[in-house]
Amino acid sequence: MSSPKPNRRRRLLQVRTPVSPMQALISSIGIWVVFFGGWIFATSMGWVNPILVPSPAQVFRSIYLLFANDGFASDVLISVGRVLFAFALACLVAVPTGVAMGAFPAIDAVLAPFVSAWRYLPAPSFIPILLMWFGTGEEPKIALLFLGVIFFLITLIADHTKEVRKELIETAMTLGAGRSITVFQVMLPAVLPNILVAMRQMLAVVWTYLVIAEIVASTTGIGAMMMRARRFLHTDQIMGGIIVIGALGLIFDRLFAVLHRRLFPYLQDSR
Amino acid sequence: MATPLMQIDRVSKRFELSGGRTLTAVSDVSFSVEKGSICALLGPSGSGKSTILRMIAGLETLSSGAIRLKGQDIDGPGQDRGMVFQAYTSFDWLSVRKNVEFGMRINGLSARERRERAEHFIDLVGLSNFIDTYPSRLSGGMRQRVAIARTLANAPEVLLMDEPFGALDAETRWQMQELMIEVAGASGTTMVIVTHDIEEAIFLADKIEFLSSHPGRLREEITPDFKPAERIRNKEQLLELGGFAETERKIMRLMREEGRH
Ligand SMILES: Nc1ncnc2c1ncn2[C@@H]1O[C@H](COP(=O)(O)OP(=O)(O)OP(=O)(O)O)[C@@H](O)[C@H]1O
Ligand SMILES: [Mg+2]
Repeated sequence: MSSPKPNRRRRLLQVRTPVSPMQALISSIGIWVVFFGGWIFATSMGWVNPILVPSPAQVFRSIYLLFANDGFASDVLISVGRVLFAFALACLVAVPTGVAMGAFPAIDAVLAPFVSAWRYLPAPSFIPILLMWFGTGEEPKIALLFLGVIFFLITLIADHTKEVRKELIETAMTLGAGRSITVFQVMLPAVLPNILVAMRQMLAVVWTYLVIAEIVASTTGIGAMMMRARRFLHTDQIMGGIIVIGALGLIFDRLFAVLHRRLFPYLQDSR
Repeated sequence: MATPLMQIDRVSKRFELSGGRTLTAVSDVSFSVEKGSICALLGPSGSGKSTILRMIAGLETLSSGAIRLKGQDIDGPGQDRGMVFQAYTSFDWLSVRKNVEFGMRINGLSARERRERAEHFIDLVGLSNFIDTYPSRLSGGMRQRVAIARTLANAPEVLLMDEPFGALDAETRWQMQELMIEVAGASGTTMVIVTHDIEEAIFLADKIEFLSSHPGRLREEITPDFKPAERIRNKEQLLELGGFAETERKIMRLMREEGRH
């Protein structure tokens, strides 16, 4: 060997050394095998109270039964509808507001102190007053989901817009662009990929508030089903609900990833 | 002699710093730029080269003095003064063609005219094979070519460049310098280029404004008149010319003196 450094044996933990695709696959499947294996093992050995911790098989069976017999699909649709409606509403407000704050310091100077103060108020603390204002219909739920993400979304989008490089803006201006062309044809397209990333992060948060909203005051939706199941000690259904929410979250996350790749093909080759 | 295309007339720039202090970045600088000529701003770091260029571009206000283009005081940025920066400024979401068409599109040229001019200038900078590629796929030198084509296609009166090749490797840099000579010849565009590179300044410029630092003042105006009237296209040829070494030595001495302050 000509190399002065001895070629060390590869160790399992190497700083910043990428793993092979095979190792990645085995690792990612392995962790779930261990998780479900442990769960199955614990329940089949009778180590845990079956009423409190049902077996995986029972949980998946109850998911099937929920969909087949109990009309769970409509609960799921209602929940998804609430999430998407509230999130769309939040985006509709946050994208123009955030971009305007990022583009115009004069707007930022007014809104930033306001928006950042609201971020520190936990949205669930508004539940009592939302219930008093809106009753128990859809409105307080949508309002909670909206309040839960809007201020974070605005701040993220404003920060990303502020990060659009000065040279890009100045190039546009020296090409003859006025304010609206600079904002709509340079800053907005430049920040759009990051806006989508911010949306993806915040959609996960909407799901969190959905469960809170449906547990506190709702007769419909996934969270309400879980609260009903609690009354009858149906832990299998509760866990089924958790798994369904997790799966939905994952599906939406993947959809965002696909959308990102579709909308911004030029980002694929840059790295 | 006809009046010059652009006059920088006793221009000063003071920046307000925090704590009420001010910094004079440019002090009483005057020079003129003839139509079709290439002018280089040379000088040590902090001598106000970028500030002067940015004031010409309208990206920075003047504290005193005036900058006139065709006899008119400049007022803010405009398409008559195109700028190429050292940092990459490609609009990554647009293809090379769309990048080059950007200025013409916002200035209302017809689609046909845009296409023809874009193709002409993309060809001029040697990127015809990449016309429908996204800039993120291009190397640093190629991206600067896109920026140059985009600015030229917009037909500015003056092309302003702030160390446009500063981030490129040595070989790409002299290829780009030769390209600029070719582009200047083909388009007749007037250029003002800021540089640190003495050879680059001598090769490209018809007139070099040498600035001193703290505050940025015009120290000397150097005309490399050893060069033939027809611009030379090869850098080797420049090095062979009698007079090159002498001019370079003179500028190096100026640089060294500046360094002593
Ligand atoms: N926006 C600003 N605010 C305050 N000071 C500034 C600003 N821009 C430039 N300066 C100062 O003005 C002086 C001249 O800066 P300038 O960037 O024009 O120099 P330069 O000749 O381009 O230098 P370099 O070769 O390093 O690019 C420097 O001392 C710099 O710190
Ligand atoms: Mg500079």
